[in-house]
Amino acid sequence: MKESIKRFTPIFYWLVIIALLCLFFTNDFGLVDIHKTSLIVAIGIDPAGDEVQVTAQVAIPQPSQSGDNVQYVEVQGSGLTVADALNEINVKTGTYPKLLFCKLILIGEECQNEELFRILGCFYRRNYSELTALVAMCKGKAQEMLALPATIAPENSTAIQKVLSEELKKSANVSTANLKSIAEANYSVSKACYMPFVEANVQGTSESGGNGDNVGGEGGGSQGGSGGSQSGENGGSQSGSGGSQNGEGGGSQGGSSSQSGGKEGQQMEFTARKTAVFTGGKFAGILDEQQSFALNILKNEINLAVIPCDADGIHYTVGLKSAKGGTKLKVNDGVPELTVSFKAKAQIQGAKIVLDPQSVMGDDSVKPSILEAANEEVIARVESLIKHCSETDCDVLGVRELLHKYNYKYYEAFKDDILTRMRVSYKVDVQSLN
Amino acid sequence: MSMKISVRQICFIMLVYTAVSKFILYPTVLGYENGRDILFPALIDFAVQAVIVWALSFLCSRTDKTFFQLVEGTLGNITARIIYGLFAMFFLVCTLVPLFEQKVYVHVIFSDTLPSLLVFIPFFFFAVYAAAKGFENIGRCADICFPLFIIAMLFIIAMSVTEVKWNNFLPVLKTPATKIFGSSLATMYRFFEPCWLLMFMGHFKYKKGDSLKITVSYVIGAFVVLFVLALFYGIYGDISSSRQFAIARISLFFPAIDTVGRIDLVALYVLEVVMLFAIVINMQLAVHCICKCTGYENRAVISIAVNAVLFLILLFFDNKFSAIFTVWSKWMWIVFAVFANIIPLLAWTMRRRGRQ
Repeated sequence: MKESIKRFTPIFYWLVIIALLCLFFTNDFGLVDIHKTSLIVAIGIDPAGDEVQVTAQVAIPQPSQSGDNVQYVEVQGSGLTVADALNEINVKTGTYPKLLFCKLILIGEECQNEELFRILGCFYRRNYSELTALVAMCKGKAQEMLALPATIAPENSTAIQKVLSEELKKSANVSTANLKSIAEANYSVSKACYMPFVEANVQGTSESGGNGDNVGGEGGGSQGGSGGSQSGENGGSQSGSGGSQNGEGGGSQGGSSSQSGGKEGQQMEFTARKTAVFTGGKFAGILDEQQSFALNILKNEINLAVIPCDADGIHYTVGLKSAKGGTKLKVNDGVPELTVSFKAKAQIQGAKIVLDPQSVMGDDSVKPSILEAANEEVIARVESLIKHCSETDCDVLGVRELLHKYNYKYYEAFKDDILTRMRVSYKVDVQSLN
Repeated sequence: MSMKISVRQICFIMLVYTAVSKFILYPTVLGYENGRDILFPALIDFAVQAVIVWALSFLCSRTDKTFFQLVEGTLGNITARIIYGLFAMFFLVCTLVPLFEQKVYVHVIFSDTLPSLLVFIPFFFFAVYAAAKGFENIGRCADICFPLFIIAMLFIIAMSVTEVKWNNFLPVLKTPATKIFGSSLATMYRFFEPCWLLMFMGHFKYKKGDSLKITVSYVIGAFVVLFVLALFYGIYGDISSSRQFAIARISLFFPAIDTVGRIDLVALYVLEVVMLFAIVINMQLAVHCICKCTGYENRAVISIAVNAVLFLILLFFDNKFSAIFTVWSKWMWIVFAVFANIIPLLAWTMRRRGRQ
């Protein structure tokens, strides 16, 4: 008997250890009933005097046999810091104050007057959130934007994420940024960062007169957002004064109002082709679509970008495939020289002429005059971007970083005025695909 | 004398445990102190330790004696017991920071909604059992950990390497040399691998070329750590000092994670098992040293005592990790220089008979 106990003791011990370790590593000690929880999937931040107002889009899993089993509501909190406001939201939603599922941080236009990293600082402290959440500035108030009913997804945070997607980034249509990329850029020697600027447009409208580079349509943000904003404010004011008990009421009210806003209000489309730029953590302007395009082709890997150009009196839409862009800085004879390089293979994607089926075969063999026009268009866009950078002293191209990394001995001499002092040369080479 | 551990197992220990014991806060600390020159303090420490590991493993070719027998033969039995008593305390000191780090890591990365001490208590069930085991068990654990480590690391590296910006390291060596050497000293308490080898002396059968195998294993382990440091700084750049738990952070930006979720956690769980064994080896050696020091052979009782001490320290200093961390960074390099560097080298001066 004693012998068998002795024999089985280690086995029993190991079984206990394995069972405990399983519980330990899978966090089954902290079992959470998914139907009794709620997850913050997106937040919007707006300044409100000395305080910040945070609107969270919360996903609430619903018991469902089939179909849509997640309900989305907006809950609002406010405080002197974003953490204060999030704490209020968490009191209302019953979730632990972490933002592991938050994939989008939307900053209201009024944040232009604030220090960017006073607002976003909370997300970098300790382990509050992973730095993977997308960050964007929006036209108008973020709480209104988050309450707008979207066309391309059931909840608008997903719709906004779609217009900030990696795929879109690879077509040079959006300057996607996440918490990591903006902090990295802001705390580099360039001290400049950028993020997409999101606008809402009434469904089915498009702005004309953009020489083929049209964006959006009727800005319906304020109109469509009024329902949502009202509901958000109601929720916020109640919760702000009422503490946790009233907060529950405010949260649910906000949610129901936003849903009704979806039914009554006009459905909206989102675009993010403009880019908000910051220098030293302060807002430095908004790059238009052309400048944003230039920034994107120089900063991102591009699979297929589209550029409009005019050649031989005809308007063409040229596709740029396998595009590679970048910047290099050298100091020649005491003068810093920035070389902007861009290479791509062009094919005709559209032309403002009557289609001749025979000519389609030749779309991959682009005429030199069209290539020349595409080259000029790219250079014009980059020139416009560099002009904006030097005027606002906003180094989103990372010229100071290039100076610091590759020309360190000149860094102290040129770091203050390099954007106005540098000479710029272009090596733009758009070739025919065939 | 029975050979309790094989050279293969020692090589695995030198490679795997060396690496995993430096994945949690070490990269953040170095990033904070040295920025883009993050690799150099680590390189200095690893180079020094590699020389000592080589010297010790080469000493094993000259004698079959254990370290205890070497000291006993030179300085007498009482001195040998005292030195082993001191080494027991040293191994407890070696365990503390990794233990605290592990507690915080598990709490933050795996289960952040529960009090961290409660989450970490099951570790001591495992540690009491494992620490009561001898060198054979240490060797077998290393055999198990090696493939787990390789698979997990390949997975994590594959998910991280594409996100690295290699020019984050430019310009090179602009941090003052005093700061680099200062960080090297301040993080020296993380380097105690030669002491493991000191304890294994005489417990494995040395064959020609084994010192090279052991040293190369250690150097590979060092390169794995340096590579993880490079990945971490290459991904986070100037904000790396604000990111704790490097190994769990470097794979976050893998594009597929957006679609399929945190699949990197599977590799992190696997690596966690290896990390726990890397902590336990110090406890096992502490128990071994106490047995030698006191002559009391009941390892189970000693293991319970060792774990009780560590648990009480964890309990009392639960929220004072930063204080321990500060003391260790400022002063413990002296202790580690003596035990992990000077004493292993002094082993060469002790009276030894030729190999039999």
